[in-house]
Amino acid sequence: MKKRKQGTGVRHSRTKAHARAKSRARRTKANTTPGGVFALSADCTVAASAALKSGLLEVLREPTCLAVDIAAVQRIDTAGIQLIAAFVRERQSLGLQIEWRGTAPAFASAAHLLGVAAVLGLPERPS
Amino acid sequence: MTVDLTQFHDAFFEESFEALDSMEAALLKLDIGAPDRELINTIFRVAHSIKGGSATFGFSDIASFTHSLETLLDELRSGSMQVTLPMSDLLLKSVDVLRAMLRAVQAKQPVDAQRVSDLQFDLELMIAQKSAAPAVSAGPAAAPAASLAPSASQAPAASPVSGAAAASIADRSATGAGGPEPTTPAGLTGRRWQISFRPYRELFARGNDPLRMMRELADLGHLVVRVDTMALPPLSELDPSECHLAWTLELTGDVREEAIRQVFEWAEGDCELMIAQIDAGTTTAALDANSAAAGARTASAGTSASAPASATDNATADAILSAGPASAPAVAKTEGASKADGPKADAKEGQVTSIGDSGSIRVSVEKIDELMNTVGELVITQAMLSQLGAQIEGATAEKLRAGLAQLERNMRELQESVMRVRMLPITFVFSRFPRMVRDLAQRLGKQIELKLTGEQTELDKTVLEKIGDPLVHLVRNSIDHGIESPEVRAAAGKPAFGTVHLDACHRGGNIAVEVSDDGAGLDKDRILAKARARGLVGPNDQLTDEQIHELIFLPGFSTAEKTTDVSGRGVGMDVVRRNVKELGGKIELRTERGKGSRFVITLPLTLAIVDGQSVAVGSETYIVPLISIVESMQLKSSNVSRLSGRGEVFSFRGDYLPIIRLHELYGVEPHTRNLHEGLVVVAEGEGRRVGLFVDDLLGQQQVVIKSLEANYGHVEGVSGATILGDGSVALILDVPGIIRAASLRAVA
Repeated sequence: MKKRKQGTGVRHSRTKAHARAKSRARRTKANTTPGGVFALSADCTVAASAALKSGLLEVLREPTCLAVDIAAVQRIDTAGIQLIAAFVRERQSLGLQIEWRGTAPAFASAAHLLGVAAVLGLPERPS
Repeated sequence: MTVDLTQFHDAFFEESFEALDSMEAALLKLDIGAPDRELINTIFRVAHSIKGGSATFGFSDIASFTHSLETLLDELRSGSMQVTLPMSDLLLKSVDVLRAMLRAVQAKQPVDAQRVSDLQFDLELMIAQKSAAPAVSAGPAAAPAASLAPSASQAPAASPVSGAAAASIADRSATGAGGPEPTTPAGLTGRRWQISFRPYRELFARGNDPLRMMRELADLGHLVVRVDTMALPPLSELDPSECHLAWTLELTGDVREEAIRQVFEWAEGDCELMIAQIDAGTTTAALDANSAAAGARTASAGTSASAPASATDNATADAILSAGPASAPAVAKTEGASKADGPKADAKEGQVTSIGDSGSIRVSVEKIDELMNTVGELVITQAMLSQLGAQIEGATAEKLRAGLAQLERNMRELQESVMRVRMLPITFVFSRFPRMVRDLAQRLGKQIELKLTGEQTELDKTVLEKIGDPLVHLVRNSIDHGIESPEVRAAAGKPAFGTVHLDACHRGGNIAVEVSDDGAGLDKDRILAKARARGLVGPNDQLTDEQIHELIFLPGFSTAEKTTDVSGRGVGMDVVRRNVKELGGKIELRTERGKGSRFVITLPLTLAIVDGQSVAVGSETYIVPLISIVESMQLKSSNVSRLSGRGEVFSFRGDYLPIIRLHELYGVEPHTRNLHEGLVVVAEGEGRRVGLFVDDLLGQQQVVIKSLEANYGHVEGVSGATILGDGSVALILDVPGIIRAASLRAVA
């Protein structure tokens, strides 16, 4: 967790990242800002899936409505979508909400092509 | 989810441990100085088959070690080295190390590399000391094997999408992706395909990404995607490198099945794939009668989840589709059914589905065998009753006979249903090939396309388990010897991609499995030269093509110029033929120089029942398996000649075939000894034909095979026994055995 770098799964949303760079290493919930934003990194493929999984696990039980920022996502594959789908489904079963933030053509396309848009609660048509 | 490679791993480990036991036993029996050739062959075969299996599954350590071992054993076999005490010690140590390696790999523990490399060094030292030209060392074999490990980093390479293209594709598929009903949008023409795509967990690890496939499908036509997330575990337990999703897709457009298959080409063997064409009527009906479809689902779950695509299956798939993600139990049921197909698959994973709420149960093979046996006994009892019934006179006789006729019908159905329980689609064997072919092609620098057809052909589990190894040998041979390198192919005006085709189909009561390639074909001249060099054929003997083809089935025959990790020690083909024969089948070869070769294996669907021709000799009845019979005829005395010292022959289609008098063979008093008064059954085996002289033909019937070995002991020329309707026992002839015995006698 402590040595996370860009491209290994998740990182802070851009605005808050710099300000919290120093304290990040000591925080346990390093990927959420107080407002509850979880930002997906550019690479959400199987190669980076271990980091993505641990990132998602950290915010799984985040009690407030969690915003998931997908704007940075450049590359995503079935493994990435699968993780996110499992995450969303489990949040739902815990009665916790999420909210999608930002747009990413790669993300929307993958979610629709794999038929998980409904599972993720994405709008019917990609925005 | 069901048939992952671990299933084959289990079989491989089981077989390997057994083989090592027999290797150990053989080694212990081996006399220093004067070794028995058959023992050395046995030991060699063990090493060879473990090498083959481990190479297939990517256990490169084991493959490399066994290669060294095999090289040493080959020296022994060819007689260029003698068995010494230190060597037999070394070989026994190798057995221990192999066992340890197999155990380690099985338990997914690291292999004791130091111990292995020490021993491998000793083996190679021994080879180097004794033989002037040191044989291939394990070094080069290990290096390419290491590259077999699937690299996870292959996957992302397929992912990047250009934004615009992605958006438009998503737009096309979006209509269906979220909506609950699979309606065909107006204006769309062409065929509608229903695709059930259930990847196995390792799909990602093989470098496959369903997303890429969906994208390709969406390019073909209008795609509606339904995802099944039932198998998706909680996030904390989710292994992100495993695929837990499954999909049901509907594709509409002017698309050929071939094109769809092509999309899934690389995933073949890593998923359960079902493609069926649906027309509008079927779907609507199925959707309307949802409950009926649910019934059909249970039915199909009860028999086999991978039954060929039929109307019922369409309905089933539609039911799942129409219910969508909400119908969790329905989807789970289908999955449960497919689990039952691979009884071994999950045992070791500890992920057994609960029996109560799935549409199927897992039953041990022993129980089914018991059932099978009881049904066999019932069939015999029923036949006895029928015969008795035919003799009874009187008022109630007619009613009795009607009842017996019904009993017979029901019995036949019962027998068929029980047999079907044991039937599995051959895809269980085929699915290991895509990986193997890919790896081999890579290692040999060849471009090979593997075509699989008829994967849904069902056959008995026992047959299925035993046909795997022969097929592996044949496919390896095709790739190693058959398909040429791309340059050679180009020079010959062939496409750079060589094709290896595996096909299975039912032919009568048999299943035919075909391995064909468009490679170089067999080089008759080279085979002949080799056979002459080895003294298998006299220098001036003229052989027919068929006789030349026969040569490759001889033990120790190989024309490969150098032995490789893949094949080329000539153990393959004789083992293949022996295995096929043990299953009561036969193997045929067609080949044309420069065009390719084709091996056709014909196998009985089951080992429990044989189609036989019953023949009478004196007061005895014998069963000749139909598969051995060419034809039956009455002889004219003018056709028969007597050769001094070599018995009688008769002319048959321009050929002279020896006559074997069954009454002499079995010491029975016949009704007639005059050849023209009885009949001759022309039977084939070991590539040769003979005429079996019998008194009369009685009729064709299916008989339940009772093992003679289990109940009495092995008898030469008899493969088993059966109980006839009147309660008497009839022996089932082992035609190849009879021919072997007869030719031995003729030589002596």
